[in-house]
Amino acid sequence: MSGSFTARCEVAVVGYAHSVIQRNAPRTLGAIALETALSAIADAGLTREQIDGFTTGSLLPSAGGHASVDGVSIVTSNWLAEKLGLNPRFAAGFQGFGQLAGGVMLAVNAVATGAADYVVFHRALHNPRGVRYHVNPMTEARGSSQWTAPQGYFGPLAMIGLPYNEYLQRYGASREAMAEVLVEARANGARIPWSYWHNQPITAQDYLDARVIVDPICMLDCDIPVDGVAAFVLTRADRARDLPNKPVYVAGYAQGSVRRPRLPVHWPLDDIMEAGFDVARRLEDSSGLSLQNVDLPQLYDGFSPFIYFWLESLGFCKVGEAHEFVQDGGIRTEGGLPVLSGGGALGNGRMHGVPQMLECYLQLSGRAGERQISSATLGLACHSSPHYGGAVLYSSEPL
Amino acid sequence: MSDLVRQPIPVPDEQSAAFWSAAADHVLALARCTHCGTRVHPAGVVCAQCLHPEPSFEFTPVDGRGTVRSWVVIRDSFLPGFRDEVPFVLVDVELDVQSDLRMIGRLLDGPDAALSQGDRVVTVFEDIAPGVAVPGFALEART
Repeated sequence: MSGSFTARCEVAVVGYAHSVIQRNAPRTLGAIALETALSAIADAGLTREQIDGFTTGSLLPSAGGHASVDGVSIVTSNWLAEKLGLNPRFAAGFQGFGQLAGGVMLAVNAVATGAADYVVFHRALHNPRGVRYHVNPMTEARGSSQWTAPQGYFGPLAMIGLPYNEYLQRYGASREAMAEVLVEARANGARIPWSYWHNQPITAQDYLDARVIVDPICMLDCDIPVDGVAAFVLTRADRARDLPNKPVYVAGYAQGSVRRPRLPVHWPLDDIMEAGFDVARRLEDSSGLSLQNVDLPQLYDGFSPFIYFWLESLGFCKVGEAHEFVQDGGIRTEGGLPVLSGGGALGNGRMHGVPQMLECYLQLSGRAGERQISSATLGLACHSSPHYGGAVLYSSEPL
Repeated sequence: MSDLVRQPIPVPDEQSAAFWSAAADHVLALARCTHCGTRVHPAGVVCAQCLHPEPSFEFTPVDGRGTVRSWVVIRDSFLPGFRDEVPFVLVDVELDVQSDLRMIGRLLDGPDAALSQGDRVVTVFEDIAPGVAVPGFALEART
């Protein structure tokens, strides 16, 4: 099960760009992706012609049954490369969930093996217009959905509601504890100019008053669907030293996976935690580093309960105690672990794991501006549930 | 409600026909690997337990009793056919027949039923269309 990452710190992130995050952008997603990719390439001090690799995970994360149209509702690596007028040596898409960690892994592997010298990794997220995001008008349940939709079990809120209630019941957690997560995410998102929630912090009472959709999940436990694109440029560490920005090195990565057959979108709490322990061990084996040395753990928060699951499975607090850890100020950027210092998905909009990766990059390259945390040296960017996702370790120095 | 927003009707296929046929008769019949005897729900195309190269499953009746591991209350359904049904409770049940064999269904005791982890339930069936019944659960009478 163990194995060290032979390319530790041999690949670095050297530039980025991020579009403004909007509920419904006035331009197509493809147009925003093109502009964002070009900005990231320029930010890295490179020219378009130097890019010879593209990676992404292009899934439209909705249960609403929307058509996936390349350049409109999704943007694949090949679409982006073609529209940039390039004929890259390497273009690939990550097929699973955890697209942020997965797409970075593909990019790192391509650079480390020499399959490409300069890779653009991007993520484009879309909010289809004129329909509710997850509403699905199906009247017949075929394939995997036949096992759950006829019972009314459907969509990601019920999916996350079951393990969250399992957690609440098992450990006696309160809604007041989770309010801390939301207040922290939105306070940090409010400081980020491109965030959908820029200048819109909330109070604990706002959270407690939010409409409950799938009890115990309320509106504010969910990130809001948006249009937005982020792009990053990765290259080999020796090439990175010749470029204008301080490189941020990839120190390791890990994925978790499902071990046993389950009903569609059935995520028992113990499945999530078991995979989370795998991810933690694999990260340490891969990097040779202890997770206790991570001073910038950017945990995934597309649904707020993931903060508890990641905190506990990665060992930042004891199993069953994340709710108390959070309530005692444990994840406050001021004085606690900066788990949501980048605002997360709850504080930015449904950008998947982009806020987590971007915060690692900005802080560790010293580009976070007035939000700079001077002490940060080792960051972790998580995406998705541990059992359908992964995490990437970033270092400010080559180790 | 018009037919356009009816609740989703399961469409049986090769892997599921025996399950839905038994359900129509209000019998819970779960797939069982004929090689190693492991139950699996939903039925798969291979047995994850024994990995037999010639997979073969039989659907035999099981005791539908089990234990509540978690639940949610649907207050706003993303399936339009359930909008007239909200609020309703979905329970995540570990069936007695095999350790960690889980099934999710509606709890037919209504949205106000007091629930705890470990509560005992029995499988019951809802007839949702002619010849189509869907398994759900009801709290076992407390003694």
